[in-house]
Parts: sequence; structure tokens; C-alpha cells
Amino acid sequence: MIEAGGADARAMSIVAHAAPHAEARGLASWLTTVDHKRIGILYGTSALVFFLVAGVEALLIRLQLARPDGQLVGAQRFNELFTMHGTSMVFLAVMPLSAAFFNYLVPLMIGARDVAFPRLNAFSYWVFLLGGLFLNASWLVGTPPDAGWFGYAPLTSKPFSVGPHSDFWLLGLLLLGTSSILASLNFLVTILNLRAPGMTFLRLPLFVWTTLVTNVLILLAFPPITVALVFLMFDRFFGTPFYIPAGGGSPLLWQHLFWIFGHPEVYILILPAMGIVSEVLPAFARKPLFGYPSMVYATALIGFLGFGVWAHHMFAVGMGPIADSAFALTTMLIAIPTGIKIFNWLCTLWGGSLRFRTAFCFAVAFVAMFTIGGLSGIMHASPPVDLQQTDSYFVVAHFHYVLFGGMILGLFAGIYYWFPKVTGRLLDERLGLCHFWLMLVGFNLTFFPMHFLGLMGMPRRIYTYPAGLGWDFWNLVCTVGAVLQGISVLVFLANVLRSLRAGAPAGPDPWDGRTLEWALPSPPPVYNFAALPTVLRRDALWLTKHPDARGPGLADPGALVAPVGAIHMPAPSHWPLLTALAMVVLVAGALLHLGVVIVGGLLTALAVLAFATELVPARADPGGHGGGVHEDPHVGATGLDHRKLGVWAFIGSECLFFGTLISTYMVYRGRSLQGPYPQEILNVPLITMSTFVLLMSSLTMVLGVAAIQARDVRVARRWLLATAALGGVFLAGQVYEFSHFVHEGLGLTTNLFAATFYVMVGFHGAHVTVGVVWLSVLWYLLARGRLGARDEALVDMAGLYWHFVDVVWIAIFTLVYLIQ
Amino acid sequence: MIGLPDRIHMESELTLRRARRPRVPGLWAVAIGLALAGCGWLDSPATTLTPRSDFGWISHRIFLQILRWDTGIFVVVQILLLIAIFRFRERDPKAIPPQVRGSVKLELVWTVIPAVILTFIAFPTVGAIFRTQAAPPKDALRVRVIGHQWWWEFQYPDLGFATATDLHLPAGRPVSLEIAGADVIHSFWVPQLGGKRDAIPGGITRIVLTPDAPGEYYGQCAEFCGASHANMRHLAVVDAPEAFAAWAASQKEPAPTPPDGSPAAAGRDVFRTAACVGCHTIRGVSTGGIGPDLTHFGSRKTIAGGIFPNTPENLARWVRHAPGLKPGSLMPEQRLSDPEVAALVAYLGSLR
Repeated sequence: MIEAGGADARAMSIVAHAAPHAEARGLASWLTTVDHKRIGILYGTSALVFFLVAGVEALLIRLQLARPDGQLVGAQRFNELFTMHGTSMVFLAVMPLSAAFFNYLVPLMIGARDVAFPRLNAFSYWVFLLGGLFLNASWLVGTPPDAGWFGYAPLTSKPFSVGPHSDFWLLGLLLLGTSSILASLNFLVTILNLRAPGMTFLRLPLFVWTTLVTNVLILLAFPPITVALVFLMFDRFFGTPFYIPAGGGSPLLWQHLFWIFGHPEVYILILPAMGIVSEVLPAFARKPLFGYPSMVYATALIGFLGFGVWAHHMFAVGMGPIADSAFALTTMLIAIPTGIKIFNWLCTLWGGSLRFRTAFCFAVAFVAMFTIGGLSGIMHASPPVDLQQTDSYFVVAHFHYVLFGGMILGLFAGIYYWFPKVTGRLLDERLGLCHFWLMLVGFNLTFFPMHFLGLMGMPRRIYTYPAGLGWDFWNLVCTVGAVLQGISVLVFLANVLRSLRAGAPAGPDPWDGRTLEWALPSPPPVYNFAALPTVLRRDALWLTKHPDARGPGLADPGALVAPVGAIHMPAPSHWPLLTALAMVVLVAGALLHLGVVIVGGLLTALAVLAFATELVPARADPGGHGGGVHEDPHVGATGLDHRKLGVWAFIGSECLFFGTLISTYMVYRGRSLQGPYPQEILNVPLITMSTFVLLMSSLTMVLGVAAIQARDVRVARRWLLATAALGGVFLAGQVYEFSHFVHEGLGLTTNLFAATFYVMVGFHGAHVTVGVVWLSVLWYLLARGRLGARDEALVDMAGLYWHFVDVVWIAIFTLVYLIQ
Repeated sequence: MIGLPDRIHMESELTLRRARRPRVPGLWAVAIGLALAGCGWLDSPATTLTPRSDFGWISHRIFLQILRWDTGIFVVVQILLLIAIFRFRERDPKAIPPQVRGSVKLELVWTVIPAVILTFIAFPTVGAIFRTQAAPPKDALRVRVIGHQWWWEFQYPDLGFATATDLHLPAGRPVSLEIAGADVIHSFWVPQLGGKRDAIPGGITRIVLTPDAPGEYYGQCAEFCGASHANMRHLAVVDAPEAFAAWAASQKEPAPTPPDGSPAAAGRDVFRTAACVGCHTIRGVSTGGIGPDLTHFGSRKTIAGGIFPNTPENLARWVRHAPGLKPGSLMPEQRLSDPEVAALVAYLGSLR
């Protein structure tokens, strides 16, 4: 028996057999699928639809600006168009398109049968899809977001943004962020733990490396924006002053938090495309990627440096010469690993035997166009120059060369390259090249003149401009280019539709590929590999087909596609979709009625509970050992259980979440414009007591984990209950403290102290509550015998979470109560 | 030098700035620049390419330096790419090229060379940052620049008056622009005078610059600030020192009183009795604080946040249909009769 997937091993009730291994068909099978390949296809098609919508928005923008004093759309509509264009391209088109590639390819490339958490994977997809639909539903009710994809405060605050425009935006982004964070920890664990035997880190295809780094960035960059959006939500719905100068808040807090997310986000967008290009160029040059180790280090370095440059988006806010210089220098540093990549790609081509298929053309164009975007980026790294160029069309040119010339061209390279693997049919080359040239010419016509417009002083985000400023001609050129791009996308769609029906059969390996997916039939069977591969060298498949003096790349290539016996695959589940739907009810309720929020909240809680316990057997195991959630295959290549690794990754993300909340509290300390002030109202003795109680709960938690490790379920249950009870006491103390504060006149909106305190401590309290529920459920399942002594990993996970929440409290207690 | 809309300014600029002329940019930059500028394709009254202040020049010199490096790198990369594309096309579909995996030496080369180039960019950059953000000289003229949705207010605290839409500055004297936002974030930008600075509610940012030469320079808000962001423009009028002194002296005066019985006097009565006084200040007549100060309205070249020339026809249209002409405008449509509008326009025009 061979196990696939990880955490859902228990659900492997479908036993797939060698022949025919028939895939379930029909709509229901897609709605409940947990197969990474199907989820990849879902991500890809949804993202392409959103890409088309955002593209039409871009076309309308260009048509409006084709001539001076354009009359196609009004100011308000124009502002909605560019806001939704940016938001959709980033969150609904490019990120999910990258996710499509991650989903489809990563398990195939690392030699796995699925991702670590297949159901969580489906859940991420459904939240993304529903979040995207929610965001676009704003068009239907006539109030799409209109404050820019960057949503600068205080333009998004209630006085300047009446109506639900910005509510749609912030709630939609919260949903999409949830989806991204969950997907990222899934991919992180998948890549760390599900690598096939011998697939060491420095044998991973570069695309897997860029996926890994991208998902670390998502995991760490999304918490700050989540917190920023939560603050905005409190400002808009409850009247807190987080970003309101009149209440002591600072609009710059938003900018810092947004760009602490926003700059890593740029790398989240571009790194996957770099990974794709790093696979496509070697395949069509028939040479290994030049300088693979330095490509890996450059990728990691770009990801790392990406967190230290955010304020280069803010040179115009006047941060002072020291901060300006520091951020200028860190920004310039990023040019070094980027340059390494470009020259390594060039040398990959050098000396090769280049086959000019469409995928390759797109990849080469990526290198050429991305270089231009990188070079203009160096200008923005220099604040004196940036002050002229920021918020002008020069910047629009710059980031479209990076994002379109880089990302979109890279993603199209990937689509042409892997389409045959996914569908079993080749895309038409003639139409493909037609698409390529139209797009390349249209792209340059659209965006190169924007450099000139920027240098000629044309600001971004203006819905109209007068004649006589010299901007007319270039704007017209831009619009012509945009129309060409629109036509090129139509050619692409025609190509896809035609090739799906009548494309040439691809066979397993149409390009003489280098990575493992090309060893499998196109499309690959549900279980991917008949036998998990044993990897001996990097470029394993290529070296198996073209062995050199040092021998082949794979131990037994024939076994990968040999007839198989029974393979356990995760069972389909409807809970991912249902839980996502419940979440959307909760979020949409915020725009409708408090009652809907409450119903949605309850539904979400129930759905999460059902989701979490779906794989737990419904009845007690007569042997008293609990079910099969403890099978060995959970322990992956790192030697850690997938689920525990997942919790560690989640804790990493949570560190950034609480770090942002605590930093905000510290930054805003002493800036309250009116009392009650903290020193007047904090009850240090009481909270010292409840802190002690919480610390004791960590002790009982340790005892609980020790007991279950000693296989003593009865004692373990007792300690779990004690931990939950101590948590409950702590929560009671917090409820008492909050009501005492309100009694003393400190409401949520009284001052900055109240807002930062309640939100930070409130979120911590919510985490404790989740922990108490978690422990109680574990206690109950252990008591009913549905889990048993061998499910220690489940208790261990809860323990990790619980200790983390306690550690957060130690930080809060120290900074808020002890150091006043 | 790229894009020269105005020869006269060019001359004066040359005499003022000869000592700080930028070095010759790269051959390619020059070639591209000449090609475009020669045809006048980069001419604009809002250009960043012909700076008219020391601040603008500092930026522009670094821009040209980076442009030169960029052009060099661009040419090298694209030529290598083209050579690779043409030279290494597939000839024999069965041939497997040598499987070169990398070269530490080469990779070191393209790690070190960019690092060196960046040092050449970093030094002038940091120098320029500190130079442009130094404390203003003692004799600098202070101007408070306040961004409103969607117009600019200019207060001269040392001279004791405020104006809107037209910013007057003296040539050759340092000015310290103290920039703030009244409602949301705006960004003050006159491309020919140098880079932009955000106008942030609850804080003050600063630009210190010395305009080179008299002239009128186009300015426009550069941070998205809501519905009419596109309609938030202004004119920076740099006067010769004597002209500036004369202008300042006239601005200090209270609003002129129209002679009794003139249309302007009738207009003043309309102004007093209509909604105007609630929002606008005319010193000696009203004290409204929401819209622009109109005390010397007639002396301005533009109206309505710099989107129309100050003509009686434009003003009449504006008074009647402000929100129609400028989406989101806080100034409501005025329900006034034709004679009332005519009188009002005459009065405002007389406020010179």
C-alpha cells in the first residue's frame, strides 16, 4: 500500500487500481476535488478569466486616455477602473496563475503524489475564487473600489470614502489574504517534506526553488497587510482613529504596513515567472541552467532583501535623509542578485541548440523586457531621481516592464510549455507565434512611450489631461499598443480553444524535458507516479535520457509509469467549498447586516470544526489506539510530521501578525490625544495574576503532551482539560478587564491607546479562545475513543500553538503592562 | 540636454548654471535623446528634462548618470542576447550541445561589476539626498503649501497673505516650501522646479529650492487624492525679484473696493448675499475658510484648481456648474440669474 498526500491520509478511502484508474467525472467531482492537478486547472482557468476582466479594465483606461479631454468614462468610473485593474491583476490574475503552476507542477517536479494538505489546498482555491467574485460583485451593485490598489489612508477613511467602495476592497483582500497564507504553508510543507528520495535541495528544479521562496514571502508578507486591513476595517466600521490624523493616528502607518507587504509582493509576483523561465530556457537550449547554485542563492537573496526595501515606495513622504539613504542602498543591493540571474540566463542560451518554439520565444522576451524594467528600477532606487519619477507615468512604464514584460511573458512561456502536459495536446505554434509577436510589439508600444510621458511630467491615475502639454501623441501610441495586446490575447484564446479540441497529441515528453513531470503520460494519472522516483542527480530525467559519464539521473525510470496495484489517494471532500462559502457569508454580512455576520460566523465555526474532524473516525477504535491519522508517511523528508511542520510555518506567519500589532501599539504609545491613558487605567496586579495562570497552562500543556507520548490517554485528557480550564480563567480575566475599562470610559474609539490595545489584546484573546476550543475538541475525541494514544502528533500540534500564544502574551504583558 | 521648449530660459539657465553642468551622458543616451528632442517629441511645459532650479538640477544630473550606466548595460545585455539567438539556433535536431553547468569565474565577474557600478551611483545619490534635505538658509522665503481636495493653497506667513492656484516665487532666492495636506494626501510637483513631495494631513514636509529663471511652470498634484485628482493643477510663476516684490506688495493690500454703482459693486452685493461668503475669504468682505481665498482673485492666471484660464467666460461657467466641470467639487452649483452671475464675475475680476 502506498500512501499519497499527507494529513489526509485517513481519507484515502478511494483505492485506485492499475486499470483503469478512472477519474471521477462531472461537476460534483470538480467541486469536491482535492487532486492538486485539478485544483491547478481550476486556479488557472479562474485566473485567466479574471485576467481578461482586468485586461478589459486596462483597455478602457487606455481608450479614455487616447486623446486629451477624453469623454469615454467619467472621473469616478476611471478611478474605479484603475483600482480594480491593479487589484485584480495582482490578487486575482497573477498570484493565482502562479498558484496554478505551483499546484500542477510542484508535486510532479519533486516526485510526490499530491500536496501535503490536499483539502486545505482545495479550501485555498475556493476562498480565492469566492473572494475574487466578491470583489467583482462590487461592479454589480455599482460601488467598485475606487481608492487605488494601494488604498492610501485617509482617502479610504469614512469621511472621504462614503459608500461601500473601500469596504468591498478591504473585505475582499482579507479573504484573498487568508487564501494565500493557507496556500503558502501548504506549499512550504509540500516542498520541504514531500520530496522524493534523493531529491535534495540542490537537486530541486529552479521553479520549485522560486516556489519555495515565493511562499515563504507570502507567509511572512501577508500578515502585515492583514493587520493593516483590520485597522482600516475598524476605522471604517467602528470609528477608531488608526489612520485618522484628527484622532492622533497617522496615514503613514498605512503606507509602511502596506509596503512592508507590497514590496515582497513584487517578488511574490515575479519569482514564479523567473522560475518558469529558468525551466523553459534550458529545455529549449538543451543545456542545463547556467550557474544553478548561484541562481538558488540569488532567488533566496532577492526574497530576503525584499523585506528591507519597502520605504523606497515612500521617498516622497519625506522620511529624512538617513532613512532615504538606507532604503536607497538596500534597494540598489537587489540589483546584484537580479543581474546575476540575467547573465546566467544569457549563458544558458550561449552554446546551446536553440529551438524557437513559442514557449521559448516568450522566455527570451522575458529576459529582454525584464532587463529594461530592472534598469529603470535602478533610477527609482536613487531618491533624488525617484522624486521626479514616482507617481508619474515613468513608474507605470517601469513596473509594467517588470510585471508584464517579466511576469506575464514568463507565465505565457509556462502556459505554452506545460499546456501539453496538462491537456495532452500541443498548442498551435503558428497561432502561438502570432500571439507572441502581437503581444511583444503591442506591449512595447504601450509601455515604452510611458517612459517619455513620465519624463514629460504626466502624473499617474489622472482620468483626463488637457491638450497642449505635449502628451497627446504618446498617449495615442500607448492606446494603439494596448489594442494590439488585446488582439494578441484573443489570438491566444482562439489557440487554446482550438488546441483543446484539435491540437496535435503531445505524448509524454514533447520538448525533451529535463524535469520529472515529462516522465509521466500527458495528462498524468491521478496518482502521478506509479512508484515514487529515486533521484540520483539534478536534471534527473534529462540525464536518464542522455546519460553522461557520471551515470543516469534516476534509479529506476521504468517504475514511474509501470502498472500499479492499489494506491491510496485522498478522498474528495465537500468541506473545503462549504467552509469557504460560510466565510464569504461572514464577510459579505459586514456589508449587509449584523445578523448575517453572526450567522456567517457560526456557520464558519461549524464548518471549520467539521473540516477539522472530517478524517477522524466516527466511532471508537476497538483497539483503543485511535484511528489512522498517525500513519508513518506523515513524516516527510525533513523527518518532521507534515502537520507539525505546518503548525510551525503557521506560527512563523503569526509572529509577523502579532509583531505588527505590537509594533503599532508601541509606535502609537503616548500619542493619544485624550484620556484615559494607560497608566491611569491598567490593573497590573490583576493581569499579573492572569498572566501567571496562562503560564501555568503552558506547564499543564507540557504535561499533557508528555502523557500522550507515554501513551497514557487518561492522564493526557486530564491535563488537556486543565489547560483549557486555565485558558478559560485567563479569558475571564480579560473579559473582566475589558468591561472594567469600558466602565471607566475607555471605549474602542476613545483614543489611540484604546484602539491599539483592544485590537491587539482582543486578537490575542481570540487566539486563546481558539486554543481552548481546540483543546476541548481534542479532549472530547480522546474521551470518546475516536482518537487514541498514537495520535500524539495532534496533541503536539495543539501544544505548539498553545505555547506560541502564551509567548505572545509574555511579549504583550511586558510591553504593555510592565514597561509603561 | 533633451527637449528644449523655450530658448530664452535655456540661455539664462546656461549662464546661471554653467559651473554645475552635467557631464556628457553616454553616447547612446545622447543619440536617443537627440533623436527624440530634435523632433520635439519630448517637449512639454511639464517636462522634467529642463530643470529650472538647483533642486531640479541635482536630480537631473543623477538621472543622466544612471541613464548612461543603464544604456551601457542595456546595450551589452541585448547585444549578447541577439548574438546568442542568432548564433546558437538549432542546426541539427539530434545534436546535444556541451552540457556546461556554470563558471564560478564568470559568475563572479557579473557579481562584482554591477556592485562597482552601483557604488558609482550610490555615492552621488547619498550626497544629493543630504544636500537637498539640508535645513533651509536663513534668508529663505517661507511658503506654506496646503493641498485641498482639489486645489492648492499658498500661504506666505512672513508676508502676511494667502493665495491659491498660482504660486509666485522670486527667482534666485531660496524658498522653503512647507507642505501639508488639509484632508487627504496630495503631492506637490512642479516638474521643471524639481521632484515632488507629499502633502500629508497631520504633518509637514519640505522642499528647499532656488528657482533659476523667471517663467511660468506647470504643476499638478501627483498623489491620487480622489475623484478630481486629475483636476488639481496649478501654475508656478517665478518672477524677477522686483516683480515679485511688487506682486507681494499688492497681495498684502485688502481687496479693492469697487466704485459705487459699478457692475462690480453689484457683484460684491451678490457675493455677500449668496452662498459664497460661507466658504471664501475676501479680506475686508468675508471670512469663509473652506474654499480658496479670493482677495486678489483677479490677479490670478488660472481658476478652479488650475484647470481653466482666468477669463470671465470660464468664471461664469464655473460659478454656475462647478461640480459638472470638476467631478466631486465641493463648490455647489449656484442658482443665480444671468445678471447676478455677470455682476459676480465683474466683481471677482476687479479684485486685482
